[in-house]
Formats: sequence, structure tokens, C-alpha cells
Amino acid sequence: MKAKLLGLLAVILAVSMIVVGCAPASTPQVVEKVVKETVVVEKPVEKTVVVEKQVVVTPTPGKPQPKGTLRFALSGEPNSLYIPATADKNADIAASQLYDPLVFQDDDGTIVPALAESWEVSKDGTEYIFHLRKGVTFHNGEPFTADDVIATWKYGMGEGSSWPDRYSIAKSVEKIDDYTVRVTTDGPKPLLLVTMHDFWSIIPNEYMEKVGLDGFQQHPIGTGPFMFVEWVKGDHITYQANPNYWREGQPRVEKVIFRFITESSTRVAALTADEIDLTKRLTAEEANQLLSVPGVKVIQYPVARIFYIAFNNLTTGKGLPTEDAKVRQAMNYAVDVDAILKSLFGGAGKRAAGFVASSELGYGVVKPFPYDPEKAKQLLAEAGYPNGFKIDMACPTGAYSHFEEVCQAVAGYLEKVGIKVNLEFMESAHYWDLEAKKELPPLFGDSWSDESGEAYNRLKGALGGWDAPYSSWSDPKIDELLDAISKEVDRDKRKALYEELQVYMQENPPFIYLYEPYTFEAMRDRVMDYHPRASEMCYLNKVWLATPE
Amino acid sequence: MLRYFLIRLGQSLALMFGVLLLVFMMLRVTGDPAALMLPREASAAEIEAFRERMGFNRPIIVQFADFLSKAVVGDFGESLHFRTPAMTLVTQRLPATVELAATGLLFAVLIGVPIGMMGGLKPGSAADSLARLLALMGQSIPNFWLAMLMILFFGVQLRWFPTFGRGAWNSVVMPAFVLGLPVMGQIVRLTRSTVLEIRSEDFVRTAYSKGLEPPVIYLKHILRNASIPIISVIGVQFGYMLGGSIYIETIFAWPGMGQLLQLAIGWRDFPLVQAIAIFTSTVVIALNLLTDLVYAIIDPRIRYGF
Repeated sequence: MKAKLLGLLAVILAVSMIVVGCAPASTPQVVEKVVKETVVVEKPVEKTVVVEKQVVVTPTPGKPQPKGTLRFALSGEPNSLYIPATADKNADIAASQLYDPLVFQDDDGTIVPALAESWEVSKDGTEYIFHLRKGVTFHNGEPFTADDVIATWKYGMGEGSSWPDRYSIAKSVEKIDDYTVRVTTDGPKPLLLVTMHDFWSIIPNEYMEKVGLDGFQQHPIGTGPFMFVEWVKGDHITYQANPNYWREGQPRVEKVIFRFITESSTRVAALTADEIDLTKRLTAEEANQLLSVPGVKVIQYPVARIFYIAFNNLTTGKGLPTEDAKVRQAMNYAVDVDAILKSLFGGAGKRAAGFVASSELGYGVVKPFPYDPEKAKQLLAEAGYPNGFKIDMACPTGAYSHFEEVCQAVAGYLEKVGIKVNLEFMESAHYWDLEAKKELPPLFGDSWSDESGEAYNRLKGALGGWDAPYSSWSDPKIDELLDAISKEVDRDKRKALYEELQVYMQENPPFIYLYEPYTFEAMRDRVMDYHPRASEMCYLNKVWLATPE
Repeated sequence: MLRYFLIRLGQSLALMFGVLLLVFMMLRVTGDPAALMLPREASAAEIEAFRERMGFNRPIIVQFADFLSKAVVGDFGESLHFRTPAMTLVTQRLPATVELAATGLLFAVLIGVPIGMMGGLKPGSAADSLARLLALMGQSIPNFWLAMLMILFFGVQLRWFPTFGRGAWNSVVMPAFVLGLPVMGQIVRLTRSTVLEIRSEDFVRTAYSKGLEPPVIYLKHILRNASIPIISVIGVQFGYMLGGSIYIETIFAWPGMGQLLQLAIGWRDFPLVQAIAIFTSTVVIALNLLTDLVYAIIDPRIRYGF
């Protein structure tokens, strides 16, 4: 009986809830209410970007011994420690510690000697003579000679290499004697030395021949500051300091252990619990969180990647108002990139002043477009569009952090000056497919990174016109300047060309310039002299630990 | 009995074939598998060369037959990312995942069964409420959220366990617990209801009236009979735990197959994804088959009715 009653009640309850839910909303009554609103005033948090703690270390007399173990958490496991096969940044970072190139690119971008003590370049820039350093040995004792340079070049173009064009940039590599090598190129190649720094990590010729590529991958050998000890797949890679390293006083840590932790919040937890010493690729929120953790310091820097909205004058954008330089300038003035950076990234981004990143050669000669919607409207009117116009735009989804919102914001700003944007979102793989076929709408968002320290590859890729698959814009003046850059071997002259190009690209912008993203890295206080590059590369030979264990 | 086994085996094989067909079609459903597998900067010439090398130009039946013949011996080609055979990568990672799943299952059973039993023997008591609470928690708490909380509390604050990785003996505790919790919840509920049912059976009353000690009754009579559905759940769940530990392995940086799958998907490394998918399916199907067999052996009433 009781159960039946309960059951009936339950049914009535259920039915009444359904009825209430489906009933039409009652007409609202206007009631005056005094609402006390607590306005939360956002106090800008003082963010100390670089927290460099001064640790006084009394130098020990005599040759300092490498001390301590550096535990480095990578965001993913390297696919290989053989440089020509490396697929991503994690592999690049881990692998590079084992080798040396002939020439090295310093923190500020200048090329300095490494395994090559000196070199001469012919007048026409097609022939380089490298004088190799004597007395350098590989980790297995094999002496470094010219044969190893030739082997590095040959294997770099062969099987198992994902980057053959980084080696075929040299037409030939010949031995003049055991410590002299001649490298020739087909026409002047100003980026040869930078490419050699990045990719020509010298491998031991005899060892490679003996064990083959498979054997080499099991146990890589180089001349670098660290020697390979073991790789437990999925778990960690261990390196030992090279006691015979040719650079005096390096490396300064005894061991390096790379751990692979894909989940960034776990990297944060591990760093906080002092289970790792150093990690990269944190989000702005995580970096902020770590600022208040004792024993941890946080750094941020702009990565050499530029986000932009591209115009099109090759296919879908032909005949549109965007072909007019004034219109494109107007669109640059119309977008408040600082506000976008502040609200979406908490300010963690750097305004792009052009298509040359802040860490690259020639940066600094132009300033970013200021936010000036009045000027934008004025320019539009001058160009003959006082009431604006309509245009289509596309944006990839799931490709870049918050980029969908960035594009929406851009469309919103353009609308404010009268340009009605029809924004379409597409799945990124499909998007890039269309981009390569130049079938995207006349406005589209994307980004481009470059790791060579110069913007040339980025410029050529996005502005190469019909020669470059992902390019939607062609300008003969830009072509002319890019051509000159590609042939100019002298660094200072190239700098001047980049500067000229940037000035031109402000008057005649092929893009709405957006931002360079920031990346965040964190480490325990004991990690010293860690200097990453804008390409996210880092070299651990100078890093030392203040309280070695 | 034999007939039952053969029929189940046949069903399993048919299921395997279906899985292989599905995985094979996955790559080709979007059109051009070569374009999917190469990085976006690849030129048209490179794509064509790749297509030739991988045999994508052959008629689809030929490709499928080739795929089947290779799959049977475990050859799934080379991982695009690592450039080493895909199956080797999977088998390298297998021990870690088995360790995790087995430990998780152990937690689930060692904690779940006693608590469930307590709840079933004394319904309405405090122990029963605990059992029901545990069951509810196990089924509703999102595992990644719990994982992160545990890392922050037990790992960072208390320093009882390492926050990540597979190393010291205690590094398996947190991930296994989180992985096993949903199964624990299921086992608690199932044990409780089965025990509740059984304890009112005639043979149990007989045992009590015979004067047997309660512990003996619980173990020898009640638990033994309750174990049949529990075993079948365990068998099935173990298979799912082996295949479904992706989140846990990723969060805890546990070097198992799940983490490899998550990475492989991000790299668009199709041979590797295929290898893992097929390997995991095989294991799950095999475990299901095994469970059914054990079940049939324990309970002679299970047969096919024709």
C-alpha cells in the first residue's frame, strides 16, 4: 500500500515537473529592484618576467668539474637522435646536445667557429674553404677529420633523412686534406652557414660505416658536450658529460636526463615537487601559477612565429577592394591587436610590426600599426569606400591556441569601420589543403614560423606568389627584394635589404599583421645560464646547477 | 562444451575481421590516404612517389588482401614518426600498460569485493552506505580530474608518490587507483547485489543451520557463487582497461600503449594508430572469449540452446 502511494506521488511529481517545464513562459512583470553590483576591479598583476636570482658561487680553483644532474622534461618523446631524421623540436633539442656543427650560431645570431676554426668565402659566394679544428675526438675516441664532414653531408641526403634539401644546399663537399674541406654551392646561398649550424651535426664516418644507420640510431656518437648513455623507450633518455669535450670548461653538468611528459599540468606538478628541473611549453595560466611557487623561476619570450590575416591578389581576391594599398593599410589600423592579446592571452604575445619577427635580422626599423579606427575610415573613404564593403574570410579550427577567437575579434573590428566580414570556420587539415590550392576566401588567417634567425623562408613561403603553394599574394617589388636577399651573402647588406623590405611592406601591406606568440618555460632556481632561442632551441653546454646534488 | 567453444571462437574471428575491415577503411574514407599521411608541405611529386611506394594505386581488393595477410603476422608497416616497425613499438610499450591495468584491476577487486560483500551481507548498515557511496563515486568521478587532484595532493603536497612516470614501485599506485576506480564501483555494486540475492537462498540457510562458522559460509558458499558474474565483469573490464588507459597514461606520463596512441594520433601516424587499434581489439576480443570459456567451465548451465 505504502509503495503504491509512493509510486503515485513519484509519478505526480514527474508529471508536474514536465508540465511546468513545457508550459509557456509567463509574462514577466517589471519589478524595480535595486541591485548592488560589486564591481571587481582587475588590478594588473605585476608580472616579473625574468626572475634571475643572484646566486654567488665562489669559483673553485683548478678546472671545474661538471656537477649535478639536469632533469629536463620534454613535451614529447623524440622520434630519433639522428639529426637528419628528427621530426620536431623535442627531437631537435635532445639530439643536438650530442653533436657539434662546423659553425655555430650564437645567441645574438652571429656565426662563430665550432668544429671549423676559420673559413674563407670566395668573391661570388659559391665556394667555402673550412679549416677544421685539430685534436677533436668523437665520444668513441675516433678522431675528427674531413672524412667525417663528407660523410655527414652524404648521409644527410640519403635514406633515413627527412631533410635532404638541408644538405643538398651544398653542391659538393670535397676533402683538400685531413683538416681542410671545400664546400661549393650552386649560386650564392646566404643561408648556408645557418643551415650548417642547424643540420650539419658531424657524425663519425668509420663508426657509421661499421654499424649502419640502425646501429647508429641505437647508440648515436658525436663530438658534442654530452654522450649518449641510454634510451628507455617511452620513459627517459640519459646523457653523460663528455670528459674530452674540446670547449674548455664545458659541459658544466654531469648528467642530463630527458623525461617525456605530454600533459603540461603534470609537468607543472613535477616541477613543483622538484622531480624535474626544467620544462618548456607551458601555458600562460600555468606560468602565472608557478610565479608564486618557491624555488621555481619562470621565463617568457616571443617565438619566431608570426600570426597574420592574408590578402589575396592571385585568385579569389582579384578585383576586390583589398587590392588597393590604402584599403589594406586601413584594415591594419582598424584592428586593435593589443586588446586581442590582452583579453585572449593575458598579454602574452608581442605585436607583429611586419613579417620579420623580433628576434630576426633587420627587425626594429618599423613600428606596428597603431589602433586608429578613425584613420582607417578616412583611408577607406579616400580609396573610394566610404561605406565599406563586403568580404569573405576563413579561419582554421583546432590549429592554434585561441586563434578562432582572434579571427572573430578581427572580423568584429573590421565591421566597426564598415567592412562586413563573412567569417567561415574550417577544420584545419581541410583548410591547409585549400590554402595550398589557393582556394581559400580572399581573407584568411594563418601563422608562419622560421627558425633560421632570418625571415627569408617565411617571406618566400607566404609571398612567393605562384611559386609558393601557400602564398596568396604576389608583389613584383617584394619579389625583387627577396631575390636580392637570396643572393646576398654579406650579413650586413642582407640586414639593409630586410629593412628596406619592411618599410615597403608597411606602405603596401600584404597582410594584417597580428602577433608573435609567447612561450613560457620554467625551471628550478638552481638552473643557471639557460638561454633558449626564439626558435625554442636550447644548448645545454653552458648550463650549470647552483646547488649540485 | 566443444560446440560452445567453437561457436564463440567463430564469432570472435568474425568480429576480428570486422575490426580489420573498419580500420582499413578508416584511412581511405576521406579519399586520399597518401595526402593524409604526409606532412602538408609535401609536393605533388612526393605524394605520388609515396602513393607508389605504399601501393595505394592498386585495386582496393588487392590492397585489403595484402593488408589482411600482413596483419595476421603482425606486420603493420613502419611508423611514420619513428621510422621503425609499428608493431615493435606497440610490444615495447605493452608491459607498462599490462602492469597498470593489472594493478588497477587488483585494486578494484581487493577493495571492491570485500566492501561489496559487507554491503550485501548487512544491507542498510553503515558498511552498506559506504559500499553504495564507493560504487557511485567510481562510476561518476571523471578520471582525468581525479588524476590531476591526486597528483597535486599526494604527489606535490604530501610527496607520498612520484607525480609522474614509471619508476619506483610506488609510481604505479596513483595511476592504477584512478584507472581501477570505475571498475571498483562496478564490482562493489555487482558483488553487493549478488551477495544480497544469494544469502537468502536455501543452501545458505542450510549452511547456517548446519552450524558452520560465518567466515566459512561467506567464503566457501556465498563468495564462490557470487564470483561467477564478478569473474565475467573482471574479464571484460580488464580488456577495456588495457585499451582505455589513454587519459591516465598521458596525465601520469606512464609509458604505455595508451600514451603512444594519443601521441600517434597527434602525429597522424596512421600505421602506428592502426597497429595499436588492431592489437587492442585483438586483446579485448580474446579476453572476452577467455572469460566466456571460464564462465562456461564454472557454470555447466551455460550452453548454446541448439
